Amino acid sequence: MIIAERRPIPEILRNIEDYQKILVLGCRGCVAICSAGGDREVSIVAEAIRLARTLQGKPIEVLEDTFIRQCDPEYLEPLKDYQGKVEAVVSLACGVGVNLIADLYPEIRVYPGVDTSFYGANLSLGEWVEKCRGCGDCIIDRTAGLCPIARCAKNLLNGPCGGSQGGRCEVRKDMPCIWHEIVERLKARGELERLLEIWEPKDWRSAGGDGLRVRVREDLRLNGGK
Amino acid sequence: MEERAFKLSILCCNYTNLSEREDFFEVPVSLEIKRYPCSGKIEITDMLRALREGAKGVMVAGCMPGTCHNGRGSERAEKRVLGARKILEEIGLEPERISMFFVNRLDGEDFINKVKAFYREILNFELKGRERK
Repeated sequence: MIIAERRPIPEILRNIEDYQKILVLGCRGCVAICSAGGDREVSIVAEAIRLARTLQGKPIEVLEDTFIRQCDPEYLEPLKDYQGKVEAVVSLACGVGVNLIADLYPEIRVYPGVDTSFYGANLSLGEWVEKCRGCGDCIIDRTAGLCPIARCAKNLLNGPCGGSQGGRCEVRKDMPCIWHEIVERLKARGELERLLEIWEPKDWRSAGGDGLRVRVREDLRLNGGK
Repeated sequence: MEERAFKLSILCCNYTNLSEREDFFEVPVSLEIKRYPCSGKIEITDMLRALREGAKGVMVAGCMPGTCHNGRGSERAEKRVLGARKILEEIGLEPERISMFFVNRLDGEDFINKVKAFYREILNFELKGRERK
């Protein structure tokens, strides 16, 4: 899922300092699962804003709502009901949601309430770790399912850098060297020779090097996608 | 008498203690006591709202770890206090204005002593604040 983290309250306050009535808008997608932008976090951020503004002597009216998702136009439609009723929206969705609101509702001033961090897994309560960089050209079929792009500090594609010690990364001692793990796992499977294959140079265009990434599936589109 | 001018909010698990305001007559503040079915039910929002509604300090009270009626509710409450404190720090308030207290179940004296200690801590913040002004 997409992992996000609440922005410091002063940064949120700075964006809304001129407003007297705003909406804090959550999303029940990834950010709810990673406890950054669901119903509970909406309530916390809204109350933090109210408290801070009350202490500043500039009380503010803060409405609260959470949509099923903010990354689909149809789920954003209820936002129309807030047009003209609030001066700004603080979205706790990931950057996708904020961008889509900005695209579809240009007259609404929307500000991010979270920083969008990475694609990660929820290893334990309160702990998320990056597992994928979304580069669009998976190589993990060759690396025992472990991604060196996301999980190697140097994004190496051709084996360990030589700086790792005892299976730990030299850049981040608290992290395993993912190439060490790849080698150990392939060795255990008797598939180490797979690493002897010469790979084609990786095509980084799909990682964003070719500009905005768009994916269209004609088999799913009806009426030209309307 | 001036010290009575401020309010403390106690957010408390119903099973931890049943003391009421009259039990705290020695503490010279306005006390607001809100009870919850478990301290694990007390949200960060409740703590922040209490401050916005005028409390100078918020005491979250739950059962001693290991004695929670619902398992680990008071430990959950302690974690939420940390979350609330982080927000206070960010907006420039002393984080200790929201504090977690583990109280022996149904031990009124323990509870009252902890309220007194919290009152003294908040009073110090208030007095320092007045000095700065």
